Amino acid sequence: MSKSSNAYGAGIMAKTGKAFADEYFAEENQTVHESHEVVLVLKKSDEINSVVNEILLGDRKDDNQTLIVEDRAGYWWLKATGKIEIDCAEVSELLGKQYSVYDLLVDVSSTIGRAYTLGDTFTITSELMGLDVKLKDLEKA
Amino acid sequence: MAISTATKAATDALAVNRAPVSVGAQEVHRWLQSFTWDFDKNRTKYSTKYKMANDTKEQFKLIAKEYARMESVKDERQFGSLQDVLTRVDAANRVHPKWNESMKVISNFLEVGEYNAIAATGMLWDSATAPEQKNGYLGQVMDEIRHTNQCGYINYYFAKQGQDAAGHNDARRTRAIGPLWKGMKRVFSDGFISGDAVECSINLQLVGEACFTNPLIVAVTEWASANGDEMTPTVFLSIETDELRHMANGYQTVVSIANDEAASKYLNTDLNNAFWTQQKYFTPVLGMMFEYGSHFKVEPWVKTWNRWVYEDWGGIWIGRLGKYGVESPASLRDAKKDAYWAHHDLFMIAYALWPTGFFRLTLPTAEEAEWYEANYPGWYDMYGKVYEEWRARGCEDPDSGFLPLQWFIENNHPIYIDRVSQVPFCPSYSKGASTLRVLEFNGKKHSFSDQWGERMWLTEPERYECQNIFEQYEGRELSEVIAEGHGLRSDGKTLISQPHTNKDGRLWTIDDIKKIGCVFSDPLKAL
Repeated sequence: MSKSSNAYGAGIMAKTGKAFADEYFAEENQTVHESHEVVLVLKKSDEINSVVNEILLGDRKDDNQTLIVEDRAGYWWLKATGKIEIDCAEVSELLGKQYSVYDLLVDVSSTIGRAYTLGDTFTITSELMGLDVKLKDLEKA
Repeated sequence: MAISTATKAATDALAVNRAPVSVGAQEVHRWLQSFTWDFDKNRTKYSTKYKMANDTKEQFKLIAKEYARMESVKDERQFGSLQDVLTRVDAANRVHPKWNESMKVISNFLEVGEYNAIAATGMLWDSATAPEQKNGYLGQVMDEIRHTNQCGYINYYFAKQGQDAAGHNDARRTRAIGPLWKGMKRVFSDGFISGDAVECSINLQLVGEACFTNPLIVAVTEWASANGDEMTPTVFLSIETDELRHMANGYQTVVSIANDEAASKYLNTDLNNAFWTQQKYFTPVLGMMFEYGSHFKVEPWVKTWNRWVYEDWGGIWIGRLGKYGVESPASLRDAKKDAYWAHHDLFMIAYALWPTGFFRLTLPTAEEAEWYEANYPGWYDMYGKVYEEWRARGCEDPDSGFLPLQWFIENNHPIYIDRVSQVPFCPSYSKGASTLRVLEFNGKKHSFSDQWGERMWLTEPERYECQNIFEQYEGRELSEVIAEGHGLRSDGKTLISQPHTNKDGRLWTIDDIKKIGCVFSDPLKAL
């Protein structure tokens, strides 16, 4: 089992019964705590399984070592600190066919964090896009 | 035929300067930004107290062509799976009977939410002034139409291909008598489409979608798979692929008002009201459907809630906005208590009122009782031993003449309906955050289960005039009300709902209910 704090069953989730209840109802857990993590839910499909196995857990594994990927039956559940990026030009090369960010969005089921596209890249970030950081437009060629 | 001079000139020009054969979607998006519209005289059904900025962005740079292509691929994959492989492997008959019943509630109710979200996002389109923000809302209007169809299709598929169609088909005809319908309308309808447009966006997008669609539409698919249902993941995970744009729309709604003075005055109250409104219904109903409507358990509902609602929505959405003055919802403490206990309270009441529903419920088995006690210490003493008593009195057997509702009456535990959320509660037998409060207005008594709803009611009592089933049917005999409220199957005598899912067990008929002689009474009249 992963020891990462980003894992599906990490922290309080590893506890059961009274131990879980004690932490769940503890005074310090009665308000929300700011989190710099992001969560991505990818619907399993032929293309997405390749993205997960060959890119996120393959060639790009070292890009963000906080990334956790878990198999939750019909979907992949991903959590990382900071951001997760998928470059669809790389996916296109891997799959041997045209694959744009909009092809990727066919199977991106949920996001917790600020998700956006720019050119061929899909990003989900903990940054506050539009507040702390301006959302960029595609630059003119 | 000779070509005209103009056509020849154009043809010659193109021979020298070829028109581009392909333009990237985001290049088109950039080009579209040179078009602006004047919305100075915007008309909206409901205005907003906030001023929405006119330079707000849409985060995915979506244009109509890519939107249409993307959605058609989603539909091809989804309907292709359902109509081909899932039918061929007889998937609908592999679903555990208990989960089959849960999907009657989940998909029928979600369909209502999607339908109302069409109007909600149309209203937001009217209210926004930024072209990109309007574009985001417009995409969402079309998504919600797709989702309404998808939810209807799930129930159609279960009814046509699966087991026990009653309740999958035409559930809405029971909406007058089913005690869960009115609360669902409060969160999925009234909360989305009535009132200040930005407040509706907070209800729909920032709380309903960014927070509760994750358990409702994502986590539910894991429970479905565990219980043999592969149709729901196929459809619901496809629905959710649109929800991320809706969450972004909700976030951009907040971005658009972040620098408005009104936000510092009203945003935290609106957020707390929306959070309480949505959680008051979703928390107990989803917990009940997941845990009591499944045979194979994935994890305790309180853990699902803690992950998706408290840690991730609370920390990643609300917590990050703290430096812009957004506060932790004041009602969070009570919501957490509800996430631990309210679904157990609700199941008890739902089982007691089972004849008024459109789905079948099952009491926990001994093995399940052990699971509940291990995960919710104290469960057995509060609930488990009562279920043993109900079972011993024959609550599943039509010949017993026993409805669990009688237990509440015999033990002087009246069931009330919270006026604001329309959720039933029993203040004298509850472990959730419900306590009884009663107020009078215009000569009528109103019961409330919590301070948060009571506060909302006090600011606009006219909004919450919906009669509950105890007021509506006071003095009426139960079997008469069920027949009148379309609670019977197509044979005209068997109830749609049943207190068991045993395929060999006898089904209750209207005559079995009639001989019990149960009469509705309004508990507020006794106060």
